[in-house]
Amino acid sequence: MNIKKLAMLTAVLAASVVAGTAGAQDNDKQYRFVMVSHIGSNDPNMNWLTLSLKEFEKKYPNVKTEYISTNNYSVQEHVRLLEQAIATHPDGIAVPIVSSDAFEGPLRKAIDEGIPVVAFNIPDSRPAGERIPYLTYVGGDEYLTGKKLGEYAIEQAKEGKIPQPKHVVCASHDSAHQGLKARCKGMKDAMAAVGAKFDELFIGAEPAGARNALQSFLQANPDTNYIFTVAGWSAPWAWSVANEMKLDPDVDDKGMTILTVDEGPVSIEGVRAGHLLATNSQGFWLQGYEPMEWLYWNKKFGYAPQSDILTGPVIINKDNADQWAKQVRAVFGDKAYDEQNTW
Amino acid sequence: MKHLVRSQGFGAVIGVAVMLAVFTLVDFSGWWTVPTVSNVTQFASILAFVTMGEALVIMTKEIDLSVGSVYGLAGVSFITLEPPLGVPGSLLVALLIAALAGLGQGIAVVKGQLPSMIVTLGGLFIARGIIYVWTGGSVHNFSPDARAHPLTRVLGGELFGVEAAIFWIVAIAALLGLMLWATPFGNRLLATGGGRESAESRGVRTERVKIVTFVLCSLLAGFAGILTLCNQPQTHVTLGENMELEAISAAVIGGCLLTGGRGSILGAILGALIVVSFRYELIALGAPSSWYITFVGVVLIAAVIFNQSLARRLGHSV
Repeated sequence: MNIKKLAMLTAVLAASVVAGTAGAQDNDKQYRFVMVSHIGSNDPNMNWLTLSLKEFEKKYPNVKTEYISTNNYSVQEHVRLLEQAIATHPDGIAVPIVSSDAFEGPLRKAIDEGIPVVAFNIPDSRPAGERIPYLTYVGGDEYLTGKKLGEYAIEQAKEGKIPQPKHVVCASHDSAHQGLKARCKGMKDAMAAVGAKFDELFIGAEPAGARNALQSFLQANPDTNYIFTVAGWSAPWAWSVANEMKLDPDVDDKGMTILTVDEGPVSIEGVRAGHLLATNSQGFWLQGYEPMEWLYWNKKFGYAPQSDILTGPVIINKDNADQWAKQVRAVFGDKAYDEQNTW
Repeated sequence: MKHLVRSQGFGAVIGVAVMLAVFTLVDFSGWWTVPTVSNVTQFASILAFVTMGEALVIMTKEIDLSVGSVYGLAGVSFITLEPPLGVPGSLLVALLIAALAGLGQGIAVVKGQLPSMIVTLGGLFIARGIIYVWTGGSVHNFSPDARAHPLTRVLGGELFGVEAAIFWIVAIAALLGLMLWATPFGNRLLATGGGRESAESRGVRTERVKIVTFVLCSLLAGFAGILTLCNQPQTHVTLGENMELEAISAAVIGGCLLTGGRGSILGAILGALIVVSFRYELIALGAPSSWYITFVGVVLIAAVIFNQSLARRLGHSV
């Protein structure tokens, strides 16, 4: 081996060592991502998110995730938490866009500072050019939630398993909530395809008042044979009103058919008990894991998805409700799951 | 007849008569049915409990904004404490919690010389916050054994095909009416609201009267929460949300004057009946259900104008 060859080999070896070291340094680089959430410890759904963050940390040991939220929710408090999080210069932020106006300032500042942002659970609903320039949105789609549940019900009706929809009422507890209105709109559009009448009824969130309102509606509209409650916890109220009125609300080929949303114990056990035709999941677990993964890929490799990432809806019906119950029990714990089954 | 006209619930009697006449004219077949009357009277009974307590507080020239949250807190306590304490035990503790809420607020208003609106607004937030933190966002279930317990059935079931709440409202309204018009305490309560200094000059311990009235108000709200859950144990942390506004509206529609010293138990019940009936009938007539709150506002203002003018005609200062 001459001197020239030896020098070349040495250079190649040195380059390999340097490159390897650099790679090792890159692999060892520590990241810190913060999820600034509106789902506090008073909401059992928080468990989905915190557990998925733990799983994420197991897979990516060089990433530390933080979950911060407030119990007594207010947009102002949420913005304050977000600003505090930005001030600590994290490597990435995941946040639901509860209010585009309130979040725009702090998030644009964070993005300008080079902090990647992923929206989760609630997107910026403005047109693409106007919305906050986050990497992507990871979460459910409220309109599709109503539409797909409606289409599932129509399929079941065509097979003769439940009555054909004649008059559908969408019972909403918040008349100003755009997400709930989108759920009703999705159901309305699905039902329009089979010519069913559709009404949106504001029942309020107070149980006695809600029952009173729903009973009044059903009394005055006896042709109503489908109820869609846009919150899982109001499904038992709808069922009990229909049951008291002897409208046969359990799932069969006659009487009333009730659909609801969410993968909470009330909704799943309602399906399992035959009280509810179906509910949906918006993929809460993925809404914790996926934003972190995209923040990581963006930070490490510069990847950026070119569209929103939908984690739902997933229809939960009698065929898969048992499996869902197992999964939710694993997240909530058996005791909490059983306590929250209010049927 | 003369006695009825001079009675403090006369405005509400007129209101109910007019309301029934209008509903009969526009929706005779829908309104006069057994399910409709049963539904309206059942829900009106629940609201009437809360309204009666609110009316008593208003008669003492104070106000209680916490009744909706206390109603919710007592109901949630009843359900949550049932597993360790059983139905009778949890019932007693839930009522005790409600009474303590009233006692605390009464003492803060009287001894702290604070406006009741501010103190009870604080009470509203505190009680609702406790519900959120205690339940973790979801109310527990009521076991099948608890639902079948005789006490639960007596409070929330049916007697002779009629909802138990209706029997309870009749019995407790009679007791409260008797207390208000036939006992020295009732006299002192009205005197306290009519004119504190004048009442004190006649030896009425107005501070004590007000504290007892706040306790009574919270107890009635708590009892209403328990009755609701005995009837329908499927509930949520929103139990009683915004109920304070309905209760205050019903009390005022029922003839209570915020200037104190004037009001009646019958008026409170009829006020609750009017509020619930309007909600029911507006939906039945196909109006958007969110209009209900607008109509309550219109009826509230009309009732205040009518009651004040009636009181002036009868020679009362308002």
